[in-house]
Amino acid sequence: MIVLSDVHKVYPNGTRALDGVNLTIPERDFTFLVGPSGAGKTTIIRLINRDETVTTGSVLVETTDVTRLRRREVPHLRRRVGVIYQDYKLLPSLTVWQNVAFVLKATGEFDHTSGDRVRQTLETVGLSRRADHYPHQLSGGEQQRTAIGRALVRRCPILIADEPTGNLDQDSGWETIQLLVKLNAHGTTVVIATHNRTLVDTMRRRVIEIAQGRVVRDESEGGYVG
Amino acid sequence: MLASFHTTRYLVGSALTGLWRNRTMTGGAVVTTAIMLITLAGFLAINDTLNQMVTELGRKSNLIAYIRDDARPTHVTALIKDLRSRPGVREVRFVSKDDALAIFESRFVDQRDILDVLQNNPLPASVELHLNDPAVVPGLAQELQAMTSLFDDVVVPLDIVEEIIGISNLARVAGTAIIISLTGVTLFVIVNTIRIAVFARRQEIEIMKLVGATDWFVRGPFVAEGAVIGTSGGGIAAIVLVAIYAQVTPAVTRIVSFLPVSTDAEFVRNLAVFTLLVGLVVGSLGSYFSVRRYLSV
Repeated sequence: MIVLSDVHKVYPNGTRALDGVNLTIPERDFTFLVGPSGAGKTTIIRLINRDETVTTGSVLVETTDVTRLRRREVPHLRRRVGVIYQDYKLLPSLTVWQNVAFVLKATGEFDHTSGDRVRQTLETVGLSRRADHYPHQLSGGEQQRTAIGRALVRRCPILIADEPTGNLDQDSGWETIQLLVKLNAHGTTVVIATHNRTLVDTMRRRVIEIAQGRVVRDESEGGYVG
Repeated sequence: MLASFHTTRYLVGSALTGLWRNRTMTGGAVVTTAIMLITLAGFLAINDTLNQMVTELGRKSNLIAYIRDDARPTHVTALIKDLRSRPGVREVRFVSKDDALAIFESRFVDQRDILDVLQNNPLPASVELHLNDPAVVPGLAQELQAMTSLFDDVVVPLDIVEEIIGISNLARVAGTAIIISLTGVTLFVIVNTIRIAVFARRQEIEIMKLVGATDWFVRGPFVAEGAVIGTSGGGIAAIVLVAIYAQVTPAVTRIVSFLPVSTDAEFVRNLAVFTLLVGLVVGSLGSYFSVRRYLSV
């Protein structure tokens, strides 16, 4: 579960990114965060993952008050929240297999079972045949799926995707969304920040609309524009 | 347990890969560190030699108090006993009037007839103090000079003593300043080498942090790299030092025999171990601080 209570965020340069955001995303939910560029969607994601800290207000992830986390506790939060970035953030010097396995190494979870875990993950995201390829040898969709695999291999209960279809063609975008739907069906809470109107209108899932740093709409089966 | 084995293997592997990837910088840093540490050890050796010279000169600094003929022997005996227990005093010797005469006669054999003219022995008895620490001389001399009922005169090599103390203090201050500066320079070189390695891998660091790697997991390979650079530099410096001591020091001692250069194996071993440890500590610490600014993700 994710709960934001009266969250304000003002960046050091004076930009007011969030202005009293209140929202609750229960477990196993599938939610779209929509709104124009600069509305505050990415800031919400960064606050949930503690890339940023709130100016005032509180952010609760499962039972953890993110705003009160000490620096050394942040890694434990990030191991439960898998964030898929628009620019994928893959390591160019590592293959698909290594990029996915790297997360397990970085979190100290790599052991003798990890090989199987990575293999299963690559099967789930449909990249078994691309395991030995480097990011530059992959299409945008495949890079996106590698990034999802990286979040998936850690079995994160929460997956947040920031503009997952932003850099993809329509087919690749759909493949990615179908994958996220499948993961949601298996119990993962999925939050997608997007301004892909077609996607949101077609899916008819919960939609939270952000505008000028505020929640202006929250519908359980909404479209891009209410 | 198994996970920590994999983690350790990752850290070591990552450190070695990093070192190899930047091998030119690594080599440069190792050589620079070695040169700095050799210079550092050289100054330590010079400092040690100066300290030994000071101690040696201190041992030779004596203080002589001439006893009045009418002084009470019991007072003199009690004072000698007291002086022997003082810190910095190595030996207290009583020279009686007869001893003084005997010494005079032995030293000035051809002038014995001078004494024949006199009916009594004119030479005073004295107390000779041999000291370990030249710093105690001024205070002790003042104290003895104040005992006018016991002593006629107190002879103090004050000029030499003050000079020795001056040299000793200067050597300590200059040595410490040089040691601090050289450690600073070594730290600077290692910090910059690691900073370049960190900069080259900043994307990797950012991703590691975003997926939940701990600060130590991110720092580990860089600290290991710094430790390897520092220890390698220290190791080279230690080998060079041992070689210098084995080959050069005997020649120096032969040519400038008055210099009390330490040549014993223990001193050389301690210096080599110290160099190695300084390399290790400076290398690790330098890397630790190099990565810090990239951990704020």
